[in-house]
Amino acid sequence: MAQLELRDLSKRYGEHYAVRSVSLDVADGEFLVLLGPSGCGKTTTLRMIAGFVEPSGGSARIGGVDVTYLPPWRRNTGMVFQSYALFPHMTVAENVAFGLEMRKLDKSETAARSAEALRLVRLEGYSERLPRQLSGGQQQRVALARALAIRPDVLLLDEPLSNLDAKLREEVRIEIRELQRQLGLTTVMVTHDQEEALTVADRLVVMADGEIRQIGSQRDLYERPADRFVAGFVGRSTFLDGHVAAPDAFETAGGLRLASLTQGISGPASLALRPERLTLGPTNALDNRLPGRVEFVSYLGAVLELHVRLSPADRVVVQMPNRGDAAVPKVGDAVEVGWPREAGLVFAGQGNPAIERENQNVEA
Amino acid sequence: MRSVAAVEGRSNQRFGAAGLVGPATIYVAIGILVPLAILFRYSLNQFVPGRFMVDALTLENYVKFFTDAYYTGVLWRTVRVAFATTAICLLMGFPLAYVLARTRTRRKNLLIMLVVLPLFVGNAVRAAGWMVAFGNRGLLNASLMGTGAIPQPLEIMFTETAVIIGITAVNLPFMVLTLQSVIEGIDRSVEEAAFSLGANPWRMARRVLFPLAMPGILAGTILTFILAMNAYATPVLLGGPRFQMMGPLVYSQFVQQNNWPFGGAIAFILMIATLILTAAANLMVQRRYRI
Amino acid sequence: MRRPLDASRLGRWALDGVAALSLGFILLPLALVIWLAFFRQEIPSFPPEGYSLRWFGAVFNHRSFVGGFLLSLQVGVAATAVGLALAVPASLAIARRRFRGRAPVNTLLLMPLVVPGVVLGTSIYVFQIESEIATGWPLLGSTYGLVAAHVLIVIPWAVRLVTASLAGFDPTVEEAAKNLGAGPWTTFRRVTLPAIRPGIVAGAMFGFVMSFGNLEMSLFLVGAGRTTLPIAILQYLEWKIDPTVAAASVMQIALIGAAMLVTDRYVKISQVV
Repeated sequence: MAQLELRDLSKRYGEHYAVRSVSLDVADGEFLVLLGPSGCGKTTTLRMIAGFVEPSGGSARIGGVDVTYLPPWRRNTGMVFQSYALFPHMTVAENVAFGLEMRKLDKSETAARSAEALRLVRLEGYSERLPRQLSGGQQQRVALARALAIRPDVLLLDEPLSNLDAKLREEVRIEIRELQRQLGLTTVMVTHDQEEALTVADRLVVMADGEIRQIGSQRDLYERPADRFVAGFVGRSTFLDGHVAAPDAFETAGGLRLASLTQGISGPASLALRPERLTLGPTNALDNRLPGRVEFVSYLGAVLELHVRLSPADRVVVQMPNRGDAAVPKVGDAVEVGWPREAGLVFAGQGNPAIERENQNVEA
Repeated sequence: MRSVAAVEGRSNQRFGAAGLVGPATIYVAIGILVPLAILFRYSLNQFVPGRFMVDALTLENYVKFFTDAYYTGVLWRTVRVAFATTAICLLMGFPLAYVLARTRTRRKNLLIMLVVLPLFVGNAVRAAGWMVAFGNRGLLNASLMGTGAIPQPLEIMFTETAVIIGITAVNLPFMVLTLQSVIEGIDRSVEEAAFSLGANPWRMARRVLFPLAMPGILAGTILTFILAMNAYATPVLLGGPRFQMMGPLVYSQFVQQNNWPFGGAIAFILMIATLILTAAANLMVQRRYRI
Repeated sequence: MRRPLDASRLGRWALDGVAALSLGFILLPLALVIWLAFFRQEIPSFPPEGYSLRWFGAVFNHRSFVGGFLLSLQVGVAATAVGLALAVPASLAIARRRFRGRAPVNTLLLMPLVVPGVVLGTSIYVFQIESEIATGWPLLGSTYGLVAAHVLIVIPWAVRLVTASLAGFDPTVEEAAKNLGAGPWTTFRRVTLPAIRPGIVAGAMFGFVMSFGNLEMSLFLVGAGRTTLPIAILQYLEWKIDPTVAAASVMQIALIGAAMLVTDRYVKISQVV
């Protein structure tokens, strides 16, 4: 195991930067997740660490050794591919032993270490099967065992769970996390699924448009998002467009004046509100109390989600726990919505960044 | 009611399939199987000079072929040329096929067209190109003698070397296209997985790429081997009148000597020899690699 | 750390180098024929004494080239039309229906590709003689006889390419059309046919080109004094090589190249071969 350092790592295709100036450190034994929408550069970053993509600039060091221009086969990185990339003509045992064979280990050592790797992923009885005779979940575990058998300096996971169904995905990600902790593996995982990222990571890196937007713990990203993009991408936020009217007040496009912490921002801005931080009903003690009308109700089971119109231009989403003791509001009901001033985050710029990105991608 | 309708629907479809596939099947069956049967029957007839073909049931045409050193020499030469060209095609074809398969740019279509175009142009025209190169005053000799590398023109025209070069160039596109389509079906990330596990390119190729490309290698080898065994225009033009291979031999017996029984026998020997050798190659490869 | 010139980089260059060499080897004979067509002198000696276009005119004074070209064109077009008419319905059945004998039928239809041209030529030759004896209809040496044989080489190409284009076609699209009120014929014409059109175009081009360029089989089947273009070129080359035959070849190369470029507008050739 070793630590990983990236310094100003960039990849340029013509004029377009796929990855721009990425710098980060992964500590020995840390589980780092690169999170971002498709096309944000996270996979390119991972492939530069593995050596499949040659950086246009910057450097990568594993355990203090510069590996920037080392070919993939001379780095000791174990990679689990999105498609698993199992060798279809080799048995499970041959797949797992492949990396050890390349390292010219003797037969008994190879056998012992492959068996151990298969035991770790609980596939002891399957060593003579061919990959096509296994289920998707089993194939995924073979891919993991294969990467673990070489005792990699860094374990790289490229969307390893995206081809599994939802239920299996939850189980496997906990398994991977436990294995990683038990073996003390320095790990970098790429995913676009924020729930997956939040479950397994020690630390997360949010990327967009080839650049790092924020590095931090789950709590950092959720409570103190660095910008509008992170606020929209990690967890959910409703964005109200408007401008900063006073050092302690935000005025929406619909003319509502809201008590907010504006953090020195002035001019056009937007206010991000987490649905679960808003309260419905008698809200005496809160800084903001606004009347509204229910426009849409989702009954999600554990929680209810209500879309409440506050003004012709402003609508917020409110989440309330489903305790079963109160009447469920109906569409058209008049309600009161409230929140403390700290619940609203003010960012420069307007609109919902996640949706804008999505639209840009479709046009491009 | 429902089951009746279902049964009707199915029989309807069955009739439909026969109606769709029937005409082509009957056409090809009559156009290929019946002629082959007639040819085989001819090969059992006797050839009496002056009386042409006489009905008989004899193997004497086959016996004649295998007991005459001239004819077995032609067969042996044909097999030798076919092996040589197939091996060269594989060695030269794999790198080109790999590069084509892994090219993702717009250049790819152009490159493939450049591989396909010669295929469409015909063997005689391509043999003509080699005639331009190999003649006594051709490009090769003129440039070698011009630089003083050799005092006298090399005798390449009308040699086995010329024929092997010619057939290799003719068959190479088939090998390249067959391999390319198979390599394209191999997931790129499988190669990357081998690299990430510590395999250098050569070991990756030997352990992962070649075994996975084996169906394509086999298909391409068989195709180019069959084509080389049955080459006609190239040996006629580059080998000259004295360099006999099986294809031209069939033609000369049939059309020039009018010896149909013997010509038919040679045609069948050619076909059977091709089949046996390809089946043997198939078996050998399948035993070594699990396909 | 600077980007090093290591073994893997050299390996990549070596791979590209060998690939370029192979491509050059494939194209060299064509390039030489094209070069020769523009020589001023008649004898193909190097270096050329000068360049001229006169041989392209000389081609038209050779009756065997002109007649051969017309016969090849006529036979190619007719064989392609008949071959497609037989192969397209068969491909639909093979790709879409489950019926007994599907695999052997498919093998049979592709068989003309694997039976050697010389053997195919001899056997069809004797077949046409036998059928002439049986019916009294002079098939051998006639254009009909040649077309009938060439249909056999069009069918496998058309079947291969049309079934391939159907393999990627989602049958629920047809169900959607029927659900929206289209009858079987309308569904075929408006939904299925447009989807397999690339396969049909490619099949037509490959079939035509294979028929146009066929040598081994046609050798046995042409009548006295009538030749196809490939046979005319072969017989000329057996006698001598000069810029005239090179010019005739260049015209053939140009025609086929143009056919490929036109086809490529409808269907990417790299995706069908």
